[in-house]
Amino acid sequence: MKKFRRILMWLALVLIIMLTILSVYGAFIGAERAQGFFNSAPSVVYWVVLGVALIAGLVAFRRLIRVPGLLLTHAGCILILIGGMLGSEKGYRVSGNDTTRKGLMQIDEGQSTNRVFVRKKEGQGHDMKELPFFVKLNDFRIEYYEPGYLEIETGDGKVQRVVAEVGRRIDLGAEQGKAQIVKTFENWKMSMEDGKRTAYEDPHPGSNPALAVQITPPSGEATTHHVFSLHPGFGHDPNAPKMLYNRPVNRAISDYISELEVIDKDGKIVAKKDIEVNHPLRYGGYRFYQQDYDHQAGRYTILEAVSDTGIPVVFAGYWMLCVGVIWHMWLSHLFKNIRSKKQTDGN
Amino acid sequence: MEIKYTIQGLLVYTTMAAYLLAFVVSMLRKPKTGHALYLFGFAVAVVSYAYRWYDVRHVPLQNLFEVFLFLGMIYPVSLFCRRVLRVGGYVADMLIGVIVLFPAGFVFHAEPQYLPPALQSWLFTPHVAVYMLSYIVMAKAAVQAGCQLIGKTPKRGSDILPPEQGTYRMVLAGFPLLTLGLILGSYWGKLAWGDYWGWDPKELWSLVSWLVFLAYFHFRYMFGRKHPNMNSLLAILGMVAIIITLLWVNLSKLFPGLHSYA
Ligand code: HEM
Repeated sequence: MKKFRRILMWLALVLIIMLTILSVYGAFIGAERAQGFFNSAPSVVYWVVLGVALIAGLVAFRRLIRVPGLLLTHAGCILILIGGMLGSEKGYRVSGNDTTRKGLMQIDEGQSTNRVFVRKKEGQGHDMKELPFFVKLNDFRIEYYEPGYLEIETGDGKVQRVVAEVGRRIDLGAEQGKAQIVKTFENWKMSMEDGKRTAYEDPHPGSNPALAVQITPPSGEATTHHVFSLHPGFGHDPNAPKMLYNRPVNRAISDYISELEVIDKDGKIVAKKDIEVNHPLRYGGYRFYQQDYDHQAGRYTILEAVSDTGIPVVFAGYWMLCVGVIWHMWLSHLFKNIRSKKQTDGN
Repeated sequence: MEIKYTIQGLLVYTTMAAYLLAFVVSMLRKPKTGHALYLFGFAVAVVSYAYRWYDVRHVPLQNLFEVFLFLGMIYPVSLFCRRVLRVGGYVADMLIGVIVLFPAGFVFHAEPQYLPPALQSWLFTPHVAVYMLSYIVMAKAAVQAGCQLIGKTPKRGSDILPPEQGTYRMVLAGFPLLTLGLILGSYWGKLAWGDYWGWDPKELWSLVSWLVFLAYFHFRYMFGRKHPNMNSLLAILGMVAIIITLLWVNLSKLFPGLHSYA
């Protein structure tokens, strides 16, 4: 037994050093290739040997069972390994689990879909899978740290400023009446229909941020004016107050938000969430993450749909590992000190 | 190399000067003055960090400038190690303070940045802060290991541990923090990107740092103090891995063609 323990301890050391070296190698080849490498057949053999060595350690060393901190750390590691294997591609295949593990969904605003595109091996394109429910995108929006502002020169030469959002109003005084932002455009275009000019949002690539501002004099009819961020003064009506759409060019993004609904086969809404980075939607064993979006016109979102049956096991392992090391390396020493202090005080 | 002619810069340089002076004075066997200067330097470091916090309006742990600024507040760790853990290296800590503030003062830019969406999470502060704390502790472990290698021993009659045991105690103190940082990061990855482990270089280097200390524990369990130099070498190797982890994005530029991930 003593010899076995010695061999096992050497094995543990060799396995730890091996993983260290392989990780350094993995760091040099980039994430994508490293992922393939650590999921390859030889790596699976390594993971299994590590798991077996840990279990053998628990059997061979009484201390690893008796000392709670050591038990938690080693058993926690075993759980993390098992959970990792369960959730891996090979794990899904071996266990016959045919839920979609991971894939991308592209959804247009106002549309719903249940299609997930699963990437095959490098350069081999995508597989299309279907979820047992639909995900609908009501709206996709981007929020910025520095909002744009509408600035209006009022009658007495003063400039008033409001955040450029639909519904914001400015009181222009007794003579000029009121102004209100009625629409915002990312890519303003004009079309002619039946001899009437209409402004519209062009979904095609391009940028021409503009605001439609309605001005209502105290007596008289409301008129709509367009204010352009890139072309100040363009199309200015001399009878209207001077307006400026002040918007920083390279604004820092504060949030990407997809307003989602989950719709079941009967068309009933069964879940709803405005997701952001760090705030995914959970439904039916899947989590939906904000992954990407339509960079040109902001008309669609790209979600990542992920299901991972290994997660509860991995997280249980994380808890055990954390509690284990803190118990073994901090608390047990603290308690020992307190106890020995009490004893010396008692004497 | 960049000199910062700003209030922030002035605060960083003042801290560095105070720490350096504290170190020199302590080496000249004036421990009381050294301690006072160290304490003064710490007070300025706290003001400097608070000023940055006020300036950027979020916990300043976003980039390397802010992270090194945080590491510059080393004094409480120093004090805790000497008073409670009985580990030496108190005077060397002053020098560590100067070293970690150097990149903040002279290398990294200090332009305030907005928090990008990926960093807006409750995990941001605990994950980074715990890591930084573990790095300071492990840096002290490496200094102890260095003292062991050059054969330094504490003065007779002092209650400070010999360096080999000092190293072990520091690694015991730092390892749970390192584990916590790794696991919080992994949990955050799950929350933000859907994966708790993405095999990217920075993640792998953080795993390497953790594994080296794991090897240290198992090696030391097998041989105890029979091979003290090997124990120390492993602790120093762990610190090297930590430095690479921290600076990987910058270091990876040295390897052309390699992707770099924050
Ligand atoms: C591969 C098989 C492994 C075996 C056979 C093994 C065995 C052991 C043994 C016998 C000890 C000494 C316990 C004592 O102080 O009496 C130990 C300590 C420890 N092991 Fe493992 N171990 C293995 C892998 C791991 C792994 C993967 C981890 C990762 C969490 C780990 C974490 C620890 C920790 C944190 C300690 C405490 C170190 C200390 O208190 O000095 N071990 N291990």
